[in-house]
Amino acid sequence: MATIAVNHLSFSYPTEDGQNPLTLNDLSATFPSGGFSLLTGPSGSGKSTLMKIISGLYPKFSGVITAGEVRLNDTKISDIPESDRGQLVAMMFQNPNQQFAMDTVERELIFALENQQVAPNHMMARVDRALDYVEITDLRHRQLNSLSGGEKQKVALAVIIAMRADTILLDEPFASVDPVARQLLLSKLSRLQREEHKTILISDHDLEDYDQYIDHLFILNGTGDSLTLLDQTAAQQKMAAFQRQDTSNKQLQLPATTDQAVIAAHQLTLTAGNATLLKQPAINFFKHHITLLTGANGTGKSTLLLAISKLHQYAGSLLLNQNEVAKMHRKQLYQQVALIFQDADQQFLNVTVAEELALSLKNSQQPAYFKDRIPGFLKQLHLEQLQEHVVYTLSGGQKKKLQILEMLIMATPVELFDEPFTGLDFTSLQTVMAIMKTVAHDCQQTMVIVSHQLFGLDALVDYHVTLKDRQLQYVGGLA
Amino acid sequence: MNPSFKFLLAVLIALEISFTSTWIVNLALAVIGLLLILTSRPTFKRLILLFFVPLIPASALAVAILLQSNAGVHFALVLFTRIYAYVFVGSAATLTTTVSDLVMSLEQNTHIPSKFAYGFLGAFNLLPKIVSEVNIIRAAGNMRGQALHVWSPQLYFKAILASLDWSENLAEAMTSHGFSEEAPRTYFKQIRVRWWDWLVLLGSLVLLQVALFGFHLQ
Repeated sequence: MATIAVNHLSFSYPTEDGQNPLTLNDLSATFPSGGFSLLTGPSGSGKSTLMKIISGLYPKFSGVITAGEVRLNDTKISDIPESDRGQLVAMMFQNPNQQFAMDTVERELIFALENQQVAPNHMMARVDRALDYVEITDLRHRQLNSLSGGEKQKVALAVIIAMRADTILLDEPFASVDPVARQLLLSKLSRLQREEHKTILISDHDLEDYDQYIDHLFILNGTGDSLTLLDQTAAQQKMAAFQRQDTSNKQLQLPATTDQAVIAAHQLTLTAGNATLLKQPAINFFKHHITLLTGANGTGKSTLLLAISKLHQYAGSLLLNQNEVAKMHRKQLYQQVALIFQDADQQFLNVTVAEELALSLKNSQQPAYFKDRIPGFLKQLHLEQLQEHVVYTLSGGQKKKLQILEMLIMATPVELFDEPFTGLDFTSLQTVMAIMKTVAHDCQQTMVIVSHQLFGLDALVDYHVTLKDRQLQYVGGLA
Repeated sequence: MNPSFKFLLAVLIALEISFTSTWIVNLALAVIGLLLILTSRPTFKRLILLFFVPLIPASALAVAILLQSNAGVHFALVLFTRIYAYVFVGSAATLTTTVSDLVMSLEQNTHIPSKFAYGFLGAFNLLPKIVSEVNIIRAAGNMRGQALHVWSPQLYFKAILASLDWSENLAEAMTSHGFSEEAPRTYFKQIRVRWWDWLVLLGSLVLLQVALFGFHLQ
């Protein structure tokens, strides 16, 4: 059990011209020992920064603490030797791809135990138990690179369990995790809290599903200068606003026979490593429609989008406007189809926000349409003040908004979105969806959207395809 | 054999044959190397590559010596076999050892700082990611109407940026998994130096001296 106390903490990422703009300003709060606390706040408010300070990663790796301190059980974080820290506090990162040093699941667990100087003859028992706890024993010898986002987060939790950390920090851990895996992870965390009295602090902008698990709800405001614990009633109200919208009764149309196919697959097979992800006799995606693609973690949704973008090999036939994707010249292909990557960093080519937007506008297929509208879109997305910022320093949510906007500006006829809504707070989410809908309509685009988050999507999408048991299928319901 | 010893032996052999000119010893080393390679059951493709890739520099050297200098057939033969000895002895060491075993041995037996050992291993694990990242960067460029060629600075700018980002993330990941530069660690897989490692190392070196000396006298 451990109490995390934040006392008048101010934190800054110094800029090149020597200034210290405060990302966090005079924050104070106590996260109770043995409690399950949820930290929420809009994108870019500094949730990740606060988590990394508590875990001791900052200011070692970035930024400076300009005032105040964080104490863990009355000891200043910086005074705890690094080698003891692992047993006190462990962290699961926002980006599942970037938290492992080894190549396989088992080796990563052993690596963590070796660092803690666990006796070699005790290691296997701890590895077994941790994998069993998270129900991923079958992933034991898998290459970490070959796992899906949700599977990686399960492995990350297994490492934390094996390390027997007292305090578990999770920084927006469910961004690329499907609802089933998310429920499983939440219930495991809850069990760790109840049975092993772990202190759990999780940050998320999406409050769905949390009400039955959490004891305390903390809010960090948009400017990073106020961190407050909500009382019972206020917390209830806040959570109620996020109640899972009952999407089960939302009905969507099935494709009409008159629809024109823009992407057509025949006998399409997709594989990853040794696993067959998809074996599809035939499926079409239709012109000028927005199609939602859902399915559990690791079923191959992203792989399908990569295959359409010629970034993953496939067997069988995959036609884009009657041309075989594998045989198309890249330049010609990417004028017809664009992929909005799951990882926003992969999309950026320039340094500042303004440069990114300028490049898109310069090469846009509909420059006249966007020229006058960009300032309005930036304002709606709260990006207008950030134009001179380096794209890589934006918060997760801000990156996502910029990425979507710059790809919409390209006005490519077919746009494939891989989890475009991760890291977006509620207001941003609705703004982004409204802009996508407008642009898709005005520029006559075809969109395929992979998303775990279904809230409000019935207003955006026309059709819904599910990927299950290696088969794609159009369905009428949204859930 | 202990991986660190194996690599030390390969380096010492390579050094030694660089300064001697006995083609029979080179040939014998290449044959022994090849036999060791065969025990690792390489694919047919890899074997073919092993034979043909050294052929280019080896024959180029030999032909150059034959045509351009008056060092004679013997020296050309020495150079030709030396290239093969380098490649086969080196491959015998690398193909029979996994990277993680080598890194663990370097950490545990030669006591290089664990920071270097795991930094190297982490970077090695990133290699396949770098290849796919370059493809993704080029696609991302094309999707924005910007063709990135192999000579485009932007391609390298992005690739370097991505690597910097990964290296920082890797460091954070290692720290959050309890890794600390100075702290002692335990080892699940212990890599020991046994008496026969010394025997093989010293024995091979002695045999090599005897062979070189013997052929030199002839």
